[in-house]
Amino acid sequence: MTALMRTMETVRGRVAAAVRSYAWDHLTLAERVVYLAGPVLLLGLGFAAVFGYWAGGPVVDFVAGRLGIVRFFVSVTAILLLTVPTAFVIIYMELKVIARMNLRVGPNRVGPFGAVMSVIHGLKVLSKEDFAPTGVDLGVFTLAPLITFLASVMTLLVVPFAPALVGQDLNIGLLYFFALGGLTVVGLLMAGWASFNKYSLLGGLRSAAQIVSYEIPLTLSVVGVIILAGTMSLNHIVAAQSGSALDWFVFKQPLAALIFFIAATAEANRTPFDMTEADSEIVAGFATEYSGMRFGFFFFAEYVNVFIVSALTATLFFGGWTAPFDSPVHVNLNWFDPFSISAPVWGAIVLSVLWFGTLFLALVVRLLGGRSWGVIDSLALGGLLLVLGLAGLIGLAAFISIDWIRDLSWFMAKTYVFVFTFVWMRATLPRVRIDQLMGFAWKWLLPASLLNLFVTATAVVLLNR
Amino acid sequence: MPTRRQPAQSATTNADPKAAPNARAAGGRRASAKPDVRGVGPRGRISADDPRVTLEQEIGSDLYEPIPPFPIKTEREGEFYSLRDGEIFLNIGPHHPATHGVLRLVLKLSGEQIVDVDPVIGYLHRGVEKICENSDYYHVIDQVDPLEYLSSLFQEWPAVMAFEKLMDVEVPRRAEYIRVLTGELLRISSHTLYMGFMALDLGGLTPILYSFIERDEIVEMLASITGARMLFNYYRIGGVNGDLNHEFMSRLGDWMSRAGKQAEAITALLNENEIFLRRMRDVGTMDRATALRYGVTGANIRACGVPFDLRRAHPYSVYPEIDFNIPTREEGDSLARYLMRVDEIKESIRIIDQCLHQMPDGPIMAKLPRLLRPRPGRAWAAVEAPRGSLGVYAMSDGTDQPFRFRIHDPSFMHLGVVPHMLPGNLLADTMAIVSSLDPVMGGVDR
Repeated sequence: MTALMRTMETVRGRVAAAVRSYAWDHLTLAERVVYLAGPVLLLGLGFAAVFGYWAGGPVVDFVAGRLGIVRFFVSVTAILLLTVPTAFVIIYMELKVIARMNLRVGPNRVGPFGAVMSVIHGLKVLSKEDFAPTGVDLGVFTLAPLITFLASVMTLLVVPFAPALVGQDLNIGLLYFFALGGLTVVGLLMAGWASFNKYSLLGGLRSAAQIVSYEIPLTLSVVGVIILAGTMSLNHIVAAQSGSALDWFVFKQPLAALIFFIAATAEANRTPFDMTEADSEIVAGFATEYSGMRFGFFFFAEYVNVFIVSALTATLFFGGWTAPFDSPVHVNLNWFDPFSISAPVWGAIVLSVLWFGTLFLALVVRLLGGRSWGVIDSLALGGLLLVLGLAGLIGLAAFISIDWIRDLSWFMAKTYVFVFTFVWMRATLPRVRIDQLMGFAWKWLLPASLLNLFVTATAVVLLNR
Repeated sequence: MPTRRQPAQSATTNADPKAAPNARAAGGRRASAKPDVRGVGPRGRISADDPRVTLEQEIGSDLYEPIPPFPIKTEREGEFYSLRDGEIFLNIGPHHPATHGVLRLVLKLSGEQIVDVDPVIGYLHRGVEKICENSDYYHVIDQVDPLEYLSSLFQEWPAVMAFEKLMDVEVPRRAEYIRVLTGELLRISSHTLYMGFMALDLGGLTPILYSFIERDEIVEMLASITGARMLFNYYRIGGVNGDLNHEFMSRLGDWMSRAGKQAEAITALLNENEIFLRRMRDVGTMDRATALRYGVTGANIRACGVPFDLRRAHPYSVYPEIDFNIPTREEGDSLARYLMRVDEIKESIRIIDQCLHQMPDGPIMAKLPRLLRPRPGRAWAAVEAPRGSLGVYAMSDGTDQPFRFRIHDPSFMHLGVVPHMLPGNLLADTMAIVSSLDPVMGGVDR
């Protein structure tokens, strides 16, 4: 009896302890979130399934009736997501390329060749304290980076990555670009004003003067292209340059291309026109008082801007997504119907390719690499090589035969050539002075762009007659 | 400036600039009512410069206005610290990316244009001269070493020269040649670094790293005989500490074979860059009369067309036996000062070459007692440092410590011209002008 009771006591004590240890008070925050979110998620899924079954048709009809809006939301989401890797890649490029030009090594600790360094930078600004100094106008101070970031990101909406890969193919695409691109300065001005710091104020005012001045030659230089293409839709401008590299507008509008690139450099606040954040003069300009993710938004906006002006230079003057020459190899993927082979056979093919390919490559590694490569090592390397090789083959086949991948590749290649040029200029050139900057815009670029416009218009009128 | 401030009566917003000094001079007491709140001036101003402003007090928008040194001592101060319509103060430094140490420039700006400037120094002051008077003659070298931290041998040189004059010590010729050789090497290092920093202050990122390659080769070379890369502590009273060794000679020969070409490569990135030239040309022009009146020396006065070089004007060491030119330029602007350094590098390479060919064998130290007790007297010695003529005045009272020890630093003299060169220029020119003068704040503040 007593033994049974003792056992009962022990069991009850253990249960009580167990209950106590798993009680709500003893849970960590993450466990609580999981315990709450699990049922909610399950319930939500169930509800969605029932709702979908019950109201699926009407919902589909609703979406189909508003495809424009749905497309807008989807493309905006995609663009917002795109900016993150883009900024990371350009920041990494800047770290590494400038380092090589300075005869340094650059980041080489995080990831292969330091490639994850910019991600770490991003995480760093994300984890910093959200800090606003005394005396700032908090509302304006908080809004400013958002406006700058969104203004630059939203211009990506009209950039054609490939004929069908464009957020919105607006027929006033270029106007939209200049209108939204001009909004960037509002954010910079707000940051400069709200920061309660004279360096910031000077930076903000500089950016206002600079960007407003350079908008004019920037816009005027593009008018020649609009006249030649007869449209303001960026996709149609690219289509007007299709053919070979000789059809690019840079050969018909060389002066405009030069003016556009210079003005775009000023528009993106890049060296040698980085007056707004001239570190040796006004510390960090408008961003002096910013830290953490607020600064991160400015930082992101800057690099997204670099990408955008490079993309636009490629689009307007260098044929955008069109290939500079006809592909000598044509592969028609249609000769092979993947559905003619049943699933088990597909599985056998894939498994055998993976298995024997890995074995073969591991053998090669083991033979060439010598004794330092053990069985596991060589198998791992063989598998890696196989996957890389297959990926390369598939990519090549896709590049040759699938249109939008080829177009996207050409577009990205051209864009990153200009991104590289921006980085290169940053490593090489000193900064101009503010009066030289303004004088250059008004005395040289503006007359030159007007001259270019005049010559283009005259030529078009005379030749079309 | 008094260590403890009176309740802040700021002249910053006074309409009449002379009101404050006059009120002070008239009765010794201020006419305005004494403020109740600590740290708040008669017009409700609070300044972060006031040490008694506490965190609980509400901070107004004037927080970052510089308040003048109180009480205002001169008319000039009263005039400077009163703002006209549309003018602001901009406080550059003491910690700022482009002020080469702890120089503080209070700029009065109208837009981007500089109206007036008040350079404030003393943030690095340690009283080295007084410390030197309390240490014996051997230890003075350690104390003065870090003042001119970019070319520290030149700071040791006049000190040991002055002491040698006090003690009538004959320095062995080999030691003198070694001094000239190492000094000229360090001059090249300093000038190369100057060119890199010049570019950095104008926004060019790359040249500074190329400069550091050159500097690194030279300091490694010097480290093989002195054991240090920056503060060498190498010259001794009556000679140098340690003879040239094999490692030094092989490094030097290696470097000499490409020194000229390497200097060209560094400058090529800048001298043919239109942006750089436009930023530097006709900026901060200093005319001959101003330069002479303000005691400007070194490359800065040679850029104004005055061929003044202590190595020729008052020859010391073995410079009379060496053949070299004194390059001059006529323009007197920032570009001329920059190009002067480029020319001087070439001359220094020539001097090093001659040193290597003419260097005699022999001892490197004179025979000296352990305890130095020179007869009472005074001595002045000056050398041509990379920044100008660097002099030391030493007075002996017969003990083992100098009775008086004073340093004449060229950077200090050059900073005196800054208020006359900046007004009328743009904010961005501040860096082009101040950097082109090449001040080293360690020497300025001492």
